[in-house]
Amino acid sequence: MWLWFSKLGSPKWFYELSGKWLPWLVAAMVVFMTVGLVWGLLFLPPDYQQGFTSRILIVHVAVAGTSLAFFPLLLVSGTITLVWRMKLADMVAKNAAILGAWFSFITLATGSLWGSVMWGTWWEWTDSRLVSMLFQLFLLLGVISLRSALEDSETAAKACALLSIVGCINVVIIKYSVEWWNTLHQVSSPVSMDTQSPNGPEFWIATLVMIVAVYLFLSVSLILSTRNEILERERRSQWVQDLVSKS
Amino acid sequence: MSEKQTTTSAAFLATLKRDLLIAFKKKNDIVNPFMFFIIVVSLFPIGISPESDRLTEIAAGVIWISVLLASMLSMDNLYRADFEDGSLEQLLLSPHPLFFLVLAKNISHWLVSGLPVVLVSPLLAYMLALPDEAYLTLVLSLLLGTPIMSLVGSIAVALTVGLGSRGLILAVITLPMSVPVLIFGTLAVQSTLNSQSPLGYLSLMLVMLSVSVSLAPLASAAALKISVN
Amino acid sequence: MLDAIQFSSFADFIDMGGYGFNVWSVYGLFAIFVAVNLILPLRKKQRILRQLKRRMTLDEEINSEDSQSS
Repeated sequence: MWLWFSKLGSPKWFYELSGKWLPWLVAAMVVFMTVGLVWGLLFLPPDYQQGFTSRILIVHVAVAGTSLAFFPLLLVSGTITLVWRMKLADMVAKNAAILGAWFSFITLATGSLWGSVMWGTWWEWTDSRLVSMLFQLFLLLGVISLRSALEDSETAAKACALLSIVGCINVVIIKYSVEWWNTLHQVSSPVSMDTQSPNGPEFWIATLVMIVAVYLFLSVSLILSTRNEILERERRSQWVQDLVSKS
Repeated sequence: MSEKQTTTSAAFLATLKRDLLIAFKKKNDIVNPFMFFIIVVSLFPIGISPESDRLTEIAAGVIWISVLLASMLSMDNLYRADFEDGSLEQLLLSPHPLFFLVLAKNISHWLVSGLPVVLVSPLLAYMLALPDEAYLTLVLSLLLGTPIMSLVGSIAVALTVGLGSRGLILAVITLPMSVPVLIFGTLAVQSTLNSQSPLGYLSLMLVMLSVSVSLAPLASAAALKISVN
Repeated sequence: MLDAIQFSSFADFIDMGGYGFNVWSVYGLFAIFVAVNLILPLRKKQRILRQLKRRMTLDEEINSEDSQSS
């Protein structure tokens, strides 16, 4: 068990294994992406209430749903960095923070593009999802800037791991407190529209396809940037030298 | 050798006393955040509107946000001087659990920078035309909220203690974390203004305070160990 | 299958039932997001490999010069 674990943590092992997986993941991603996007843009019938804006939702819901994956990702990699000091976990965490910030931003942007039609406003403070996503973005940007400020890479790894753990717990607390805050500020709230939306089953299948596509994209992108990180940090090791001379 | 015989509670008290002494010697650390708080609050009526109706609406929020900014600015001194003169390393090497020593430092920081702000808040609330019945709630919510901010902010300060210039990074890290405290603090005051009982919010803040007293020093201690190696 | 396409003309397709701007901005943003996060890592990898290769050839040259001079 312990042997398996330390093998899993070895960057070389990860580099080789991910190299084998990558073509399959990319192929699956291309298939799901194409099916999802073509379906979404051409075939999805307009919703009788929302019209063609339901096409925005399948992208938005997929990105927003996938960005929830960053909580367990950062929590687990942070814990592994702090407890077992595994280098690989930090390499993943570093790129996950950057990618997570991208995901939060795209979620907010697509959400307000949808909201501008359905709610008549680009930004709605009474929606807890928008507000907590905004603070998730802020916290991830904080982690990124902390990493770039700390020079020593080992200190940076542990510091960012700790901040990510504290930050993730905090975002959950923020989410619930903003939700509570909303129930008391129901002035002219247009919220809870897409939770009880009357979308048909076809909509949900298209969304599911997009969610799978975005998850695959997340793993492909994360693997690619983690592999770069491995090459940079392990550049003095023999196996990287061999790899470079072969290429 | 006598060091080993001191109990943890004695070490806790000694750290507390030492930090308070230092703070009272360097009066700037006490006066500046306090002045900053008062000045920021008094800028709002000038910037927004001197009408008392408008001011009543925003009073609680303005006071809370100013407290947040003031406590964040004063936070910078929490471990800085100790890090520079090496006494932080001594603290880490001490045989007593770091949890209590960090807690002592946080308490002394709160006594020096949080408590004065809480005490002066009724005066500023008056200047912002907050109705009388909300004063007690405001003071109570600040009394519960400011220590939470000291405790949580201490984690971020501990993480950045080794950095050369870190004024802004500290803000970027700490401010988003203070959202829940801000929400419940202002909600408590608002509910009093709507003649509802603020007890629910205040007890929720009490829960948050007890959770942060028991967990935040652990995270701060871990962060200090990471920053000082 | 082509019957299932929801649009009769290309202009309809662009218009998206009046929500053209929003729908196409979302899909455009999404495309940029996906493309950037795939292309940047790939280009970075090429850059890293190039740098490592250059360093290796430099090292070899230095080593061979050393062995010649000695």
